[in-house]
Amino acid sequence: MLHIDKRLLRLTLASLSLGPLWAASPVYAADQDLSVTIYADDLALVQDHRTIDLTGGKQRVEFENVSAKIRSETVSLASREPFSIVEQNFDYDLLTPAKLMEKAVGHEVTIVRTNPGTGGETREKAQVLATNGGVVLKIGDHIEVLRDDGLPARVIFDKVPDNLRAHPTLSVTVNSSKSGPAPVTLSYLTPGLGWRADYVALFDEGTSKIDVQGWVTLTNSSGTTYDNAKTLLVAGSPAQESVNDGSGRYIRRPPRPTLAKAGTETGSRERLGDYYLYPLTERTTIANLQTKQVSFLDVHGVPAEHGYEFVNEWLGTSNTPVSAKTVYQFSTSARSGLGDQLPAGILRFYMRDKRGDPQFIGESRIDHTPMGSVLSLATGDAFDVKVQSTVEKRTSLGLFHWRTDMKYVLTNALPKPVTVSLLQSGLWGDTSIKTESQKSTRRNADEAEWKVDLPANGTKTVTATFDTEF
Amino acid sequence: MRRSLHPWLLLTAGALGTVPAVASTTEAASPLSDVSVTIYRAANRDGASLDLDDLGGFALVTETRTISIPAGVSRLRFEGVADGIQPATAIITGLPSGLLEKNHDAKVLSPAELVTASIGKNVWLVRTNPKTGESNKVPGSIVSDADGVVFKSAAGLEALRCSGLPETFQFDSTLEGAARPTLSALIRSPKAITTTVRLSYLAQGFDWMASYVATVAPDGKTMDLGAWVTLANANATSFSDAHAQVVAGRLNRESEEVEPIDEGAQIVAQCWPRGSTSDAPETPNIVRASPLTPGWEMYLDRAFKRSAAPAQMAMTALEEVAVTGAKVQQEQLGDLKLYRVPDRTSVASRQIKQVRLLDRKDIPIDLFYRADLPADDEVDDQPLSKVLRTRNDKAHHLDLPLPSGQVATFYERAGVPLLVHEAPLRDITLNEEVEIEAGEAPDLRVTSKVEGRAVNGATVKKLPLIPGVHVRSREIDVTNRVEITNARNQPADVELRLTLDDDTQLVRADHTPFMHNGHQTFRLTVPAEGSATVRYQTVDARYSLTR
Repeated sequence: MLHIDKRLLRLTLASLSLGPLWAASPVYAADQDLSVTIYADDLALVQDHRTIDLTGGKQRVEFENVSAKIRSETVSLASREPFSIVEQNFDYDLLTPAKLMEKAVGHEVTIVRTNPGTGGETREKAQVLATNGGVVLKIGDHIEVLRDDGLPARVIFDKVPDNLRAHPTLSVTVNSSKSGPAPVTLSYLTPGLGWRADYVALFDEGTSKIDVQGWVTLTNSSGTTYDNAKTLLVAGSPAQESVNDGSGRYIRRPPRPTLAKAGTETGSRERLGDYYLYPLTERTTIANLQTKQVSFLDVHGVPAEHGYEFVNEWLGTSNTPVSAKTVYQFSTSARSGLGDQLPAGILRFYMRDKRGDPQFIGESRIDHTPMGSVLSLATGDAFDVKVQSTVEKRTSLGLFHWRTDMKYVLTNALPKPVTVSLLQSGLWGDTSIKTESQKSTRRNADEAEWKVDLPANGTKTVTATFDTEF
Repeated sequence: MRRSLHPWLLLTAGALGTVPAVASTTEAASPLSDVSVTIYRAANRDGASLDLDDLGGFALVTETRTISIPAGVSRLRFEGVADGIQPATAIITGLPSGLLEKNHDAKVLSPAELVTASIGKNVWLVRTNPKTGESNKVPGSIVSDADGVVFKSAAGLEALRCSGLPETFQFDSTLEGAARPTLSALIRSPKAITTTVRLSYLAQGFDWMASYVATVAPDGKTMDLGAWVTLANANATSFSDAHAQVVAGRLNRESEEVEPIDEGAQIVAQCWPRGSTSDAPETPNIVRASPLTPGWEMYLDRAFKRSAAPAQMAMTALEEVAVTGAKVQQEQLGDLKLYRVPDRTSVASRQIKQVRLLDRKDIPIDLFYRADLPADDEVDDQPLSKVLRTRNDKAHHLDLPLPSGQVATFYERAGVPLLVHEAPLRDITLNEEVEIEAGEAPDLRVTSKVEGRAVNGATVKKLPLIPGVHVRSREIDVTNRVEITNARNQPADVELRLTLDDDTQLVRADHTPFMHNGHQTFRLTVPAEGSATVRYQTVDARYSLTR
């Protein structure tokens, strides 16, 4: 295959050109086969199968083109061949002009001067004495400063010093009892590779159905390109233990929950422990600085419910009517839903306009969702469905005992009837509703819910009296 | 008119995994058959105008074209998409079933990228002799480009541009790279077909707003309301002959993971230390401390602004404001409002465009002056604010959704409208009350004094809590006296809006209060060049611990 030829070419090139410069010439491991397993939380396991040429005895093997963000402590080299690892190094000492000069201190370099008058060149050998602030050279029996006169002077070095490299390079020193080619597997963890899911949902208002496409979005900012890699995606984030003092981090009030009911169905997807696996069917090249999308889900005509929701905080009064949230609810079950578990990502909703063109109508983030769940996603504010809530009266009935009269005016400017799920939160549990204009249900101790049916272009008022100790 | 940069599409045929440079690149003869731009506004914009350098909204761009796809694996390259593209949102429809993957390559062709891509490859070093002008091409290879470029030729190792001679590289022409981040799709088609492909994506760097103008009639009984939709495109990409729409209403957006970006870079030719014997010793840099008075800062700020002004003007000169004559057409899009620019138009690069939204005449209004008062506290002398109130229905010549934006209120003086105030307007749907703030009225002033504050003896209760400690409950009566003065030669309608604490009740008043928008409100008329007084009493339940 083409990429192997390229590697071999590089191998020969490297040994030809740089070979004689090394004291003990290292062996470059030829790339053979890459497998990349990418987790959802900016972490990937790279398995790099290569062939190395064992010389017998102690030798250094260099692995180029590993991730520039490699976590070197996670590197392991496995092989069936009998050899032992003496040590492994991840060298960051980069080859720069300044480093080249620094390493030449005490050694000879060649100076080529160009005569500005004639254009003629003269060559001489010089010994580098120091590079502090400027380069001090000893030429013959005198000492001078490099290019102190500002005239052109080239400096030619005759070798690349040991341990200086163009890229961060992983090198492993091995000790083997036999010689000849040996297949090895280098595996390591690296950040800089990550994936998430992106969903496209097209809602059809007429039939109240959605078409959903799921895309895996891979991003690579690890500094390296992974050629023709076998790619496996893991939906789940393995715990990465870190040294954290556990000091109080600021925790945001959790956003509106999107999972209305957790599913209990098992899908046909492959699993690893408790994580779902999404293998890409074809080998792919994940280039550096690339965003790649591969389809994993395409479902049509799933029933979806379009509703409205409004949450009023405890003692919330608004000066003006406030828009209710637009909520879409659908199932991920096999029988009446998407029929798949959904890895975490962003779901974008589209809807066709009068001309039939899909238009974007909002998005919502979803968590890893098991099959058989019910998702309830808020996509934005409804322009025409609004709620104005007012604390009508608050009466002290005694010590730590209040009565609160609430009024909620719901309006619908749409030419069709709608149902709004009106929620009063902050009830904490110890609150009772003494009177109410329509029956509420208690979603939980903290929230009371009224399902309010609004006529087309109509208004409805809900009143309730709460008995509280706060 | 600026040259419009049309998005175009390239079709590259080649096997999966091969270097595309060996495959033939053909530009598909596919005229763009349609392009549509739908602009969504920034969720929280403050400020009355759109700044092309800081647009917080986004757009859905959809382009349609007919292409021929060969059999086998080929790569479709969409070049010239908007710079602000969010690649993960790209949707491609109309392709044969075998869409293998979509890619967005952020890597762009730049001098530094050329050097990086050539590491280990053969390049030519071109060195020009400054005397003879002769250029010398030396074959070699690049060894490293970390903080300076090291190359290797037959002579040995050298560093780029450290000798004082003009030096550069010539690269192999097979190196590839795109001028801009590129979106592409890898497809496999069982047979050669011709199909219509539609690409949609969300892109940043767009925004729109509604700008209203309310002109109040001299008698203060009616107003005329007109509005523009102002839309802006800050991208380097122009969309000509496009369907343009804007969407009103608030959409939910999630914070996006940042996609990799590459801005390109120049070649860094850093050398070894270059100090010379004639270098003067470095003098320590002493900074004199200066007092940070605001006046000094302001002076600096002004000086900076003055010097920056010509550049600003140059930027403004690059912006184009286009005004079109037709009115936008409104339609329902789910729970949002979509406004369509009736004819095809251009949404050009760095352009601000205005389209008429509405024109309504003789809207009956209730013009009054408002004061916001804390119910049981004092308010020092302050001016009232003028409010124009109407209702969004047929009787008030409106009855149409009003997307949020900025309202400029004008009064006519000798036939010339003069601006009196600018205020934001929220999203208002049909049959809703509309209030437009029209500025302060210095001739109408209000003060509120607490006339009396007393503990109501009859309500004091002591309840044992723990041995030795009691809870004391009592009610506090507060009487306020509000005085409004009017220095105008016309009577003024005034609304006093009280803000009551959660546990406070309004119990008595010499005017009849009514509940409006969650506030206890008094409405009265203050005579011309006169004053009016309102007295009311509130009761507040208080608890304290006593021994």
